[in-house]
Amino acid sequence: MSYASTKDIRNINPHLYSGEMAAQNMVFEPLVINTTEGVKPWLAESWEISPDGKEYTFHLRKGVHFTDGAPFNAEAVKLNMDAIVANKPRHAWLDMVNLIDRNEVIDEHTFKLVMKHPYYPTLVELGLVRPFRFISPNCFVNGQTKDGVSGYAGTGPWVLTEHKDKQYALFTTNKNYWGTMPKLDTVRWRVMPDHQTIMLALQKGEIDLLFGSDGDMLNLDAFNALQKEGKYVTAISAPVASRAILLNAHQPVTEEKAVREALQYAVNKQAIAEGVLNGTESVADTLISPTVHYCDLGLPARHYDPAKAAELLDAAGWKTGEDGWRYKDGKKAVVRLYYNSQNAQERTIGEYMQSDLKKIGIEMKIIGEEKQAFLDRQKTGDFELQYSLSWGTPYDPQSYLSSWRIPAHGDYQAQVGLERKEWLDKAITELMIEPTEDARKKMYRDILTYIHDEGVYIPLTYSRTKAVHSKALQGVGFGASQYEIPFETMYFQNSTR
Amino acid sequence: MKTYILHRLLGTIPLLLVISFLAFMVIQLSPSDPAEVAVRVNEIVPTEEVLELTREKLGLNKPFLTRYVDWISSAVQGDLGRRYVDDKPVAQELAKALPPTLWLAAVATIITAVCSIGMAFICARYESRPVDYLLRGLIFLGTAVPGFWAGLLLMWLFAVKLDWLPTSGMNSAYSVILPAITLSLTYTATYARLLRNSMVRNKQSNYVLFARARGLYPGTIWRHIFRNSLQSTLTGLGMSLPKLMAGTFVVETIFAWPGLGWLCVTSIFNRDFPVIQAYVLLMAVLFVGFNLLMDILCAAIDPRMRNGSQQ
Repeated sequence: MSYASTKDIRNINPHLYSGEMAAQNMVFEPLVINTTEGVKPWLAESWEISPDGKEYTFHLRKGVHFTDGAPFNAEAVKLNMDAIVANKPRHAWLDMVNLIDRNEVIDEHTFKLVMKHPYYPTLVELGLVRPFRFISPNCFVNGQTKDGVSGYAGTGPWVLTEHKDKQYALFTTNKNYWGTMPKLDTVRWRVMPDHQTIMLALQKGEIDLLFGSDGDMLNLDAFNALQKEGKYVTAISAPVASRAILLNAHQPVTEEKAVREALQYAVNKQAIAEGVLNGTESVADTLISPTVHYCDLGLPARHYDPAKAAELLDAAGWKTGEDGWRYKDGKKAVVRLYYNSQNAQERTIGEYMQSDLKKIGIEMKIIGEEKQAFLDRQKTGDFELQYSLSWGTPYDPQSYLSSWRIPAHGDYQAQVGLERKEWLDKAITELMIEPTEDARKKMYRDILTYIHDEGVYIPLTYSRTKAVHSKALQGVGFGASQYEIPFETMYFQNSTR
Repeated sequence: MKTYILHRLLGTIPLLLVISFLAFMVIQLSPSDPAEVAVRVNEIVPTEEVLELTREKLGLNKPFLTRYVDWISSAVQGDLGRRYVDDKPVAQELAKALPPTLWLAAVATIITAVCSIGMAFICARYESRPVDYLLRGLIFLGTAVPGFWAGLLLMWLFAVKLDWLPTSGMNSAYSVILPAITLSLTYTATYARLLRNSMVRNKQSNYVLFARARGLYPGTIWRHIFRNSLQSTLTGLGMSLPKLMAGTFVVETIFAWPGLGWLCVTSIFNRDFPVIQAYVLLMAVLFVGFNLLMDILCAAIDPRMRNGSQQ
């Protein structure tokens, strides 16, 4: 089976971040996995959590081997976990790494993880694609993985058998896999940097599958064209992440709550969902979808209502001038929206918003910047509006909220102008180590309600992962996270290919 | 001749130094913090602690001039630093990407040479006849069509519709055909025009008239015209190899050709400064080197040039 990606798999060391997650996910496995029904056993068959919430005892699956023959046991788990902890600065985005106190081998098949504090997302984060996945200790370099590994022996259903940098990577079935065998013999990961080329290669039958989120692998126009053509099967996942516009509470115009609130009513999300996203995504009323755990809070939706927006602005002293734009104390209502210029979709969404805002007398400038410049701007906070895409399940809500406390993130910069930002950061920190479910629910409610009331995000839609494949390819589904591609469930209907 | 070559060789050193300095400086002027770029490109959250570690590791805490001197002195010894993306040596990555680009550029040069000479010959032979107009129209189109569009059209026709060639990648010997044709389009058009005009001019010179009067075979006369017309285009053709190599960005990206152009484009998007610096330096060396080679060749053919330069 040939899968096309714009990116090479690069270095798939499971404890680092430079490789493609989907490829890391094929080769390396975690103790537990995240599913739509919550955390499920994987390399650990079961576990117990101590009453104080600090000790996790995992009973490991027996008879599992790495593809180089090394046994998967508590010792291997400890070595891997120690190697991850030894590279702490690199995992700064993940609180959990900082909270690990020690890793203990109880016996051959029992491993104990001891945390400094109780940390509620522990199991969810152990199931992420990186970094808590296991590579054979024989692949370690000088007892560590942080400076590279000598091979990629995992326990997963696939083995990386060939890799030509920037050309292709070949994965074959792990013949000794402990779980359900994949139905395909090989997956060829082909690198094609140009979207048009990928389309043509699909038409020619050189590739069987395109898979990606948010315009990564295929843009919506192409997706629709392929859907209409009827020669391919197109599939869309359940909502996975939040697409929103960040409103900077630390910039002259948007620092006013009334302005931010008016903007919430001014944007016609329905038009964006239908006009730009072709109805493939559902309109978002709250930043995080109510389907996400802890987030079904019944927060009041702010529906499209330009009259109400105008009213709010009038009340706040933003009066319409002779030229049709609004002014307050001689200051014109101008906002700037920055987006990553490599994403054509974001520009179009921006243009829709520009015309919506014009209707209420606010001038919006749309500025596309190269990815790095866009990220640089996030850090400086020099923007009124910026795109914000959450990481999706299983990172939402905990990792997403956790990242709000990092000054290099746009979220932090946009929130820094809020009166209770200090409280917000503290609340998020406390939330992560809150052991009781009910208290956590309340804390999530407080945090998300505050953010919703302050209107620092205009929720637009909930994004979905998309796939296009040949008719012969069957069993194409979606994983719990948008970064995983479940190759192991795929098969060809007739074995001619 | 020896002194001429030595003289010219020595002259390139300050030129290359200036270029390398400019390349280094321009990249340093970029608003992005290199340490942050290096961290971010590996999807690590840039905390102050990590940034400090990275700065130290990359030597970014040293003054600008010290860094330049460090860089250029290692570059002379073949060490171009390490990539931010995966910490691999830049020199090794360039060495890996160079052969595919050279191969592509070489095939494109051959196609350019064969097609432009052939077209120029036909145009000059049938000057102001329909076939001349037709070819000149095609040449005009060739110059005007953007590379990415032409590439995709060729891919659609030959790979998808006719199913003769693979769409992209470097998997078989045939893979080079489409990218090479795409790459050669503009150059073919330019050189065909140059050569045609030169041949048309030569056709009207006195030596052709005398040759006709002497009753030489038309074939022989055309050979003379062709040889005399080549000189002006030769320098251009000689420079076309580095130009082709520097111009492979678009073609390599479309055709997933793992060469220098693609490496450079990804490095620019990732702000992988060590690679960009090395690429600029490499291109400067290529251009200066080929220019020098062409000058020496011309000097070898025409002694007037040697004397001229020594005065």
